[in-house]
Amino acid sequence: MVGTPVLFIVIPLLAAFIIPLTGMVWKNSVRIIPGIVLSYMLILSISLLWHITETGTVIEVIAGWKPPIGINLVFSPFSGFFATLMIFLGLLVWVYSYKFKRNIDSEPALKYFILLMLLVTGSVGIVLTGDIFNMFVFIEIVGISGYGLTSFYTRRDSAEAAFKYLFMGSIASTFLLLAIMIVYSQLGTLNIAEIADKMPMMSNKLKVISLIFFMLAIGVEAEMFPLNGWAPDVYTQAPGPIGAAFAGIVAKAATYATIRVMFTMYDLSGAMDFLIVMGILTFIVAETTALRQDRLKRMLAYSSIGQMGLVMVAFGIGTKEGIFAALFLIFNHAIIKGLLFFSGSYLVYTKKEKHISDVNGMGKYLPITSVLFTIGAFAIIGLPPFSGFWGKLAILTAAADSKMVALIAIILSVSVLEAVYYLRVVNRIYFFPKKESMETQKPTINALIAMISLGIIILVIGFYPDLITGFIDRAAADLMDKTGYIKDILTINN
Amino acid sequence: MEKYLEILNYAIYGAAILLLLIGLYGALTKKSLIKIVLGLSIMDSGVHLLMISIGYLKNGTAPIFSPGHENELAKMVDPVPQALVLTAIVIGFGVTAVALALVIRLYKHHNTLRIDEIKNLKW
Repeated sequence: MVGTPVLFIVIPLLAAFIIPLTGMVWKNSVRIIPGIVLSYMLILSISLLWHITETGTVIEVIAGWKPPIGINLVFSPFSGFFATLMIFLGLLVWVYSYKFKRNIDSEPALKYFILLMLLVTGSVGIVLTGDIFNMFVFIEIVGISGYGLTSFYTRRDSAEAAFKYLFMGSIASTFLLLAIMIVYSQLGTLNIAEIADKMPMMSNKLKVISLIFFMLAIGVEAEMFPLNGWAPDVYTQAPGPIGAAFAGIVAKAATYATIRVMFTMYDLSGAMDFLIVMGILTFIVAETTALRQDRLKRMLAYSSIGQMGLVMVAFGIGTKEGIFAALFLIFNHAIIKGLLFFSGSYLVYTKKEKHISDVNGMGKYLPITSVLFTIGAFAIIGLPPFSGFWGKLAILTAAADSKMVALIAIILSVSVLEAVYYLRVVNRIYFFPKKESMETQKPTINALIAMISLGIIILVIGFYPDLITGFIDRAAADLMDKTGYIKDILTINN
Repeated sequence: MEKYLEILNYAIYGAAILLLLIGLYGALTKKSLIKIVLGLSIMDSGVHLLMISIGYLKNGTAPIFSPGHENELAKMVDPVPQALVLTAIVIGFGVTAVALALVIRLYKHHNTLRIDEIKNLKW
């Protein structure tokens, strides 16, 4: 073992304080140190993920106060899967944007990498923590670094998007506090495992009220319909790679929080149907809206919201197969949407308005980026032999196993819409004449490395899905085993 | 008379929820960006007051075991909500600071603080 889970939080926070100081001495350390920290976190999480296949869940007790009194971090197959995926994507975002902003002396550029690192840290914290109030703190860390990253470009309308996000985010955090407080006043504990254990003691009325507050609060970050009004603007106004970070890291962490609250803490019958209905609504509304967009990043943003809706549906099915499908979809969405945002922002790099028509004829001028974008588009539609195919297949089989025929029909027909708007873009890339007098921007080496590695992963997983199904299977089994989770944490004393 | 005093015990919850609603009203209906930030801040304060009042005990003592006070566990106020509120206040301060920084940026960009005149993006 390289270390314990607490290092995921301590090291980046320490680095975030030190970086401004080292930056005074050596400018480049501002962008190099976050990369080192993220690589270390990736090594740590992969080694822990291997370690827990033998020994079972690692639970870290902080400062010697045993749960349920103290704070604990839980690195289980389920949370470890999320953490590793998010850190990996965070590292790729760092590689991609290493030279995104060339002039390191300008003030915002100094902060970009620190904020990126804190965004990853907050998301990993949400996933690892076993304490509901800590979850609130980490959601706020993600929120504040997200506001900062959104308003990164001063010449765009980024402050407007960031303010919109902040408005939604701070109302959400108020509701989250209210929900936490209702739970605390009734059950007298903040530990997720103990809350889950004592939940039957709470009256049904308060259960529903606090669950609604939780969903209102976490739904904002999880881009759940109708709380996702901020997302398209934020994705459009933030720097390109940050779109990938929001889709691949923040939305994932919030989905994890939703599932933890829904599955582990509350075990309400009917709550699962609620997830399916909200997921389907999100999916349909977002995909039909994406069809009408004329800006590339807005289209990608709505598509991302739709995918998260599909993930909700898969979790809502509630069987082991459903959760397996949800985790596979999450994995796919993280790497594929990452690739689409990475390559898409180079396709429209030099254009001010970033319309979809700006990609016309790019196939000839940016061949590698175009091919990678095409791979991403095919993969997210769910064509074989790309990894997206297996995710779509898994959710359809899960729905079929649960005899939800209407669900299959809806998913398939909305997927056709998805295919329409992605293939439209691919068609423009290859078969439309280039607009006159438009210069293009060649991707830098590090951006190419990040994009190509994502493309290779999509292809490899497409051919050999067995490489990750083991991890996903263990993660799904871990989530289903609710009593095991409670027992593991509450009996750590020995 | 006894009955009214009984109600007074709950008045603090009412005050907290009133603050929350005032803040929500301000944040949702006001046109000035500064007033929206104020509304968000008032909303936060309402929740903080509610949290503190949940841990409150009449004639309670500080939750510290000191010589001569070992057996007063039942009289001690719950320290957890207070710790939570301290954290929440700090976070609320940070968010307000970021919000005001964004308001300054918006003012420089659009030369106005009225939210209905800032609509380059769809609201």
